[in-house]
Amino acid sequence: MPFERAAKFAQRRLRRFWRGLREWCGDSAYERYLRARGRQDAGRGALSAEEFYVEQINRRYSRPNRCC
Amino acid sequence: MKNALKFVVWLSVGVAGAGALGGIALHRGEPLDATWFVVAAVCCYMVAYRLYSAFLAARLLALDDARATPAEIHDDGRDFVPTNKWVLFGHHFAAIAGPGPLVGPTLAAQFGYLPGTLWLIGGAALAGCVQDFIILFCSIRRDGKTLGQMVRDEVSARGGFIAQIAVLAIMVILLAVVALVVVNALKSSPWGTFTLAATIPIALLLGVYLRFIRPGRVLEASLFGVALVLFAVVAGQWVAESPSWARAFTFSGVSLAFVIIAYGFAAAVLPVWLLLAPRDYLSAFIKTGAIFSLAAGILFVRPHMMMPPLTRFIDGTGPVFAGKIFPFCFITIACGAISGFHSLISSGTTPKMILRESHARLIGYGAMLLESFVGVMAMVAACAMPPGVYFAINSPPSIVGATPEIAAGTISSWGYHLDAQTMAQLAHSVGEQTLWNRAGGAPSLAVGMAQIFSSTIGGERLLSIWYHFAIMFEALFILTVLDAGTRVGRFMVQELGGRVWKPLGRTGWMPGILLSSAVIVGMWGYFLYQGVVDPLGGINSLWPLFGISNQLLASVALVLATTILLKMKRLRWIWVTLVPMAWLVAVTMTASYQKIFDASPNLGFLSKADALAAQIVAGQIPAAKIAETYRLIFNQRLDAAVTGVLAVMILVLLLEALRQWYAILSGRREAVLQEAPYVRTQWAEGFPGTVHGDD
Repeated sequence: MPFERAAKFAQRRLRRFWRGLREWCGDSAYERYLRARGRQDAGRGALSAEEFYVEQINRRYSRPNRCC
Repeated sequence: MKNALKFVVWLSVGVAGAGALGGIALHRGEPLDATWFVVAAVCCYMVAYRLYSAFLAARLLALDDARATPAEIHDDGRDFVPTNKWVLFGHHFAAIAGPGPLVGPTLAAQFGYLPGTLWLIGGAALAGCVQDFIILFCSIRRDGKTLGQMVRDEVSARGGFIAQIAVLAIMVILLAVVALVVVNALKSSPWGTFTLAATIPIALLLGVYLRFIRPGRVLEASLFGVALVLFAVVAGQWVAESPSWARAFTFSGVSLAFVIIAYGFAAAVLPVWLLLAPRDYLSAFIKTGAIFSLAAGILFVRPHMMMPPLTRFIDGTGPVFAGKIFPFCFITIACGAISGFHSLISSGTTPKMILRESHARLIGYGAMLLESFVGVMAMVAACAMPPGVYFAINSPPSIVGATPEIAAGTISSWGYHLDAQTMAQLAHSVGEQTLWNRAGGAPSLAVGMAQIFSSTIGGERLLSIWYHFAIMFEALFILTVLDAGTRVGRFMVQELGGRVWKPLGRTGWMPGILLSSAVIVGMWGYFLYQGVVDPLGGINSLWPLFGISNQLLASVALVLATTILLKMKRLRWIWVTLVPMAWLVAVTMTASYQKIFDASPNLGFLSKADALAAQIVAGQIPAAKIAETYRLIFNQRLDAAVTGVLAVMILVLLLEALRQWYAILSGRREAVLQEAPYVRTQWAEGFPGTVHGDD
């Protein structure tokens, strides 16, 4: 029983880490965007994955985002 | 009972930190174990975070979790994205940690390990973290406005314009100096040059994958890319061992400078998805991995500090850069203790992603503590090698002598024993032709890192692989700073230029893009070229210039923070930003004055120019070198002028702010804050990502 609990705990932690890692590096940015669009106007006129990716990095690299 | 236990735990952390710090400061004799540094730093950070940042959060800023943040109000899934606080911490840290905290402490190690370490720990806790935290807070309360916009709104329109020009100037000098670090690390090193060159096609491949094959799948693409880059590090050895290939990848400093200038131009003009973004992904993963491995390596190997706590060069005669401990230790180590550049990240990007105001404490204050720790590790890595070797790598031939034998003699005469054979052997074992005269911090840090890593895995046999891994890691993320900085610089030039000539301001207009990219690349390229041909090694003049400009930007940020605190009626706690601001103004003004006017040619730009001119008049310069010498004279005067202009700009901003403060304090002007209106959060308590009671 304690083993099962520990396994579940580890699994939960790993899943959380994985989610965090994906979010950190931008892997889940598009999913995020679709969710935000969905909340606002039922996702109408949302960009495709490719359009979103290009648009997002174009904006990100137009302002200081890497430091000395 | 629980409280008493807590008190005892924090008291012991405090005592351990103070004890370790005291140990480091007072220790003489046998080389010190690096564990002392880790304990001192970590305990001091814990206490500073637990006490000082809690005070700032609760008393000074009165962070309010019931107030909606810009991420909640504008949530658009693009710029305004509510983000888990640990994820945002990682984001913010990856953005602020660049080559600065690695190179600065390595260069400042010429004073010995003590001054740099104390400044890294104390400066971060009392100045750097405070700046990052408060600017982040100010920007959150103003819908994520940038530093320049906030200065314009809160101080004056002229102040905002000065901040904008200062940022551009800093960008130019920063890009030049980091490019110089790469040039000095890669010149006549076919292995390193091949590895870095290989990262370009790898990035292009990733770019195409992320755009057309699996759009936006950053994680899988980056892991694949990292594997390819690591393979390129190993493959570099085969290139270095093959005479014909090695020749193809061996460049002189000047030709490398031109290659990097051309590369910077291409990266600024090409679409972002093709080169810049994928390189940035690679660099973020490798940077994070390398920093954590370095920390693990130091804890595991526990190297001894071979450098003395203080060297004879605190008197200002140092070979790496000239100038006394005050002000130059505090100029050389900017990032890691306090870096004005961080205020650009703390305003603009991060505040638009923060979930709750209280998270600003971890993200603003905490991330900077971690960056300071990176600086302490760089200091440990640089001081863990024999001082003779350190000075051999970092000193220009015009100071130590042109041949290995003479140079080894000069360095030994300073009291740091060295023979030419040791250097030849070390160069051979790291797979380089030579390690002499590699000023810039990267190679000496790489030697230090390689020695630490190879004591963990691989021993002597893998020393060369580790060395080139470290060089690749530094050069890779320096090039990322270069690409990203050139592109941002291009936008700044377009924005400023657009005021004079409208079409230039149109960001999609190709001739405008080409022209503004050429302007920004031309500016940093000029300083880079000047640094490469400088007989004193370039770092001697450019790194202090960079430090001064970075600290001046920090002064701008602290002037803004003080003004806002004053308007918030926090007069009682105004010293929180006022004292670091006064310190930075004192440091930068003294350094600027000395860099311009000091009578010693190694330190003062003008006296160096005069000395060169006198040599021409006295006929000591061969006819063939006269034109070159005139160029050197012009460069020295240019550096003096740039330093002077920066210093004057900041003085003007300071006067503007003082006038404003006086008007507010004397009651002649009402203190009006330009905050965004208060909106109450719609999120229920316990919204994912919020952790309550986590002080």
